[in-house]
Amino acid sequence: MDKKINYSALRLKVGLELHQQLDTKYKLFCNCSTQMKEKIPIMIITRKLHPVASELGTVDIAAQFEYLRNRTFHYQVFNNESCQVELDEEPPHELNKEALDTALQIALLLNCDIPNEIHVMRKTVIDGSNTSGFQRTVIIGMNGHINYKGKRILITQVTLEEDAAAIVSEENGKVIYRLNRLGIPLVEIDTGILEGYTPEEIQEIAYLIGIMARSTSKTKHGIGSIRQDVNISIRNGPRVEIKGVQELGLLSKVIELEVQRQLNEKVKEETRAANLDGTTRFLRPLPGASRMYPETDIPPIVITKDYIENLKKNLPEPWTKKLERFKTKLKLSDDLAKEILGSEYLNLFERIVSTKKVEPSIVASTFVSIIKDLERREKVEVNRISENRFIELFDYLQDKKIVKEAIPEIIKYLAAYPQNGVGDALKELDLKPLTPAEVREIAKEIVEQPNITFEKAYGIVMSKVRGKIDAQEVMKIVKQMMK
Amino acid sequence: MYSQEIESLLKSKKIKIGDKILITKGKLQYAGILMPRIKLGDTSTLVIKLPNGYNIGIKYEKDTKIKKLEPGKPIRFKPAEAVPRKDPEKSTVSILGCGGTIASRVEYTTGAVFPAFSPADLLLSFPELGDVANIKSRKLFDLLSEDMTPQHWQVIASEVAKEIQSGVDGVVLMHGTDTLHYTSAALSFMLRDLPVPVVLVGAQRSSDRGSSDNLVNLVSATVAAAHSNIAEVTVCMHGSMSDDFCYIHQGTKVRKLHTSRRDAFQSVNVRPYAKIFYPDKKIEYLRNDYKIREKRKVVLDDKLNTNVALIYTYPGIKPEFIQSLRNFDGIVIAGTGLGHVPTNPTGDKFTQSLLPTLRNLIHSNIPVVIAPQTIFGRLNMNVYEAGRMLNEIGVIGNGCDWLPEVALVKLMWVLGHTKDMNKIKEMMLTNYAGEISDRNVVS
Repeated sequence: MDKKINYSALRLKVGLELHQQLDTKYKLFCNCSTQMKEKIPIMIITRKLHPVASELGTVDIAAQFEYLRNRTFHYQVFNNESCQVELDEEPPHELNKEALDTALQIALLLNCDIPNEIHVMRKTVIDGSNTSGFQRTVIIGMNGHINYKGKRILITQVTLEEDAAAIVSEENGKVIYRLNRLGIPLVEIDTGILEGYTPEEIQEIAYLIGIMARSTSKTKHGIGSIRQDVNISIRNGPRVEIKGVQELGLLSKVIELEVQRQLNEKVKEETRAANLDGTTRFLRPLPGASRMYPETDIPPIVITKDYIENLKKNLPEPWTKKLERFKTKLKLSDDLAKEILGSEYLNLFERIVSTKKVEPSIVASTFVSIIKDLERREKVEVNRISENRFIELFDYLQDKKIVKEAIPEIIKYLAAYPQNGVGDALKELDLKPLTPAEVREIAKEIVEQPNITFEKAYGIVMSKVRGKIDAQEVMKIVKQMMK
Repeated sequence: MYSQEIESLLKSKKIKIGDKILITKGKLQYAGILMPRIKLGDTSTLVIKLPNGYNIGIKYEKDTKIKKLEPGKPIRFKPAEAVPRKDPEKSTVSILGCGGTIASRVEYTTGAVFPAFSPADLLLSFPELGDVANIKSRKLFDLLSEDMTPQHWQVIASEVAKEIQSGVDGVVLMHGTDTLHYTSAALSFMLRDLPVPVVLVGAQRSSDRGSSDNLVNLVSATVAAAHSNIAEVTVCMHGSMSDDFCYIHQGTKVRKLHTSRRDAFQSVNVRPYAKIFYPDKKIEYLRNDYKIREKRKVVLDDKLNTNVALIYTYPGIKPEFIQSLRNFDGIVIAGTGLGHVPTNPTGDKFTQSLLPTLRNLIHSNIPVVIAPQTIFGRLNMNVYEAGRMLNEIGVIGNGCDWLPEVALVKLMWVLGHTKDMNKIKEMMLTNYAGEISDRNVVS
């Protein structure tokens, strides 16, 4: 990648739209599950979409474009995860209160003003991803901000909306969608225009906004649960919208590549889709205006002062603060702190480091790197181990009944025998810590061998004491003995 | 309407709905278009449309200031382009609008839906109609389906007859869905000797959405009116939850059986007459017992006596309730099972028999008609004691498989023709428009 690009000279302007799925029990407008566990559809419904005439006498350019593609939409219906509401065969139920609470929490964490009354709108969408032909969306916060490098990043608005159906395939005008994603509560966070930042900085800003949403602990994890749309322009040129950047780590690359494309090609205002390698492809012309009108099936919802005060009282610690705390108080590296924030073991990690005298970085790396390694390389089923076993493990470490080097072996044992305790593991695996004197005893014969090098001696000793004493300690002892 | 306080403030500042305004509230400022206040919610909350299209509500409080930024632009519908010239090769279909919003144009600021009735508007919304037939169209009235009355049926019947006399090849009637099957039954009795199809059509999903069933339903109904051979009053609605075909239902044997689904209308006790496939517009006939197109003069027979009641019987129903209906000229009871109401032949201490009350009503020349509240199936009043007793006192309906709503409409129509109890019974049991089928097919 060409690192010499001077982004401020190019007057790079970026607007971010972050979409985060909420992990609520039910969908936004019906009582279907949000789990997306089902794999086999129970039926398929086929539909057509047609443009709707408006007061303008014509339909807007984007809608017309889609229409001309003359497509048939096939919707896969899943047990428990789609009902007549997703099929547009029944009007929406009332707005899910759990989703509204969570979305308002996010808006408050982002320092937004909350409207006194919120109005659900219909946003025309004619690519088939919404069976109704529109997406239901509601502004729940405006004029917020986060701080980044001493500057204010404006959050123009926070909306709560229904997620669209996920596309399965598209071939010869036949488009297949999965209905189980349709209607999952989705929070969209829009920034103001970011100018004067490099792509890396913009990625960092997106990360900070993302962890604000996740502070509520009611957000979904995994592929597709967070998606980013980016609007990019340079030198006041045309605005290009890139949809669906699914990995945060890809964001700076997408921006860099788009800037290069805009430098090299004649650019039109358009919507593009992000590919997995950070490149993009043409999707459709930018949608026109006037595509939003009230959802008359849902009455406006009054947001009382009491309601907001109550939410404010119970706001969780913002993760931007948590991140700082992890770095300063717990002395975790930036990477490790971010990894543990993104880990499913975050709560357990916090419980352990707040109650036990153990090195937080050891606990964090156990949960992020050791466990991941064991799962990936050795297919260890770590999720069979209960939280209490992990707590027991760090009790042993705190009481110096084990050394940190023993952790991987113990985890392997506990995953294989979930009913057994850490004590059993020590017995079975012979991992009782050795004193330096005991190591010296073992090393004695080895270092006395004729012509043995330090490396060889250390290797042999380590093979006999691994997991029972700190490797640094062994190195010190062997060095001393060979002097 | 906003609260009085807001209304008078707006008046004093000469601010109208649609104007661009600035609301200042402490440090906060919101600019947008002032929206009409819908009936629900808090009337002391101002609703504005933000430049990005979203609406929000800002509560008007002591520290709230409103300033007019610029006057609103009036909403003017750009007229649709001229209708293509009449193609002599094509059939001509007359599309009449009775309300519902099957065809409409959306005003995206408020989301208000404006019904479209002119041929040009219809063709703008549904260009495919022009491929099917030459379209004539006009509006009869703009009415919510639940507000429809028997007087409206009479207007519709005579207007349809006029259209047919003008020589069209078929008539399509756009109608709200809630009571569409009452209207189809009424027209089935009132329009005799139809030379061409009369097809009622509606939409279950609002026409502002790209997914509305209005397109498939209206195009299919127009195909049925222009090309099918079924010269009867029929109903054309979605056949499934998919946009793949519509059914053409017999007008007296169809009922709305779901509050919201696209395929809410189903034929009861019979098969539909035909299927119209979408998008290829082919007709597949499922029966052959319909009246076919023929050159003949339509007969308008629209006399009705609308002073008729339709009630459900239910456990614990009181004879006083039935007695209170004595000022009606006829009563239809949706009975249980094979055609029953409480008659208490075992003399149970809790049960109150309706028999004496019904007998009195019939003796005072008020016909009592029974229909199945099960919807599906045929009445048979010979099987149980209750049925036999009701039959004996002159309750009309034994052996009929009519829908309660159709029995109601038919009784209005019959009472429009005679007051004689014997004649009423004879006419009620005569099959005029396929409302009583001879045999119930297994399907």
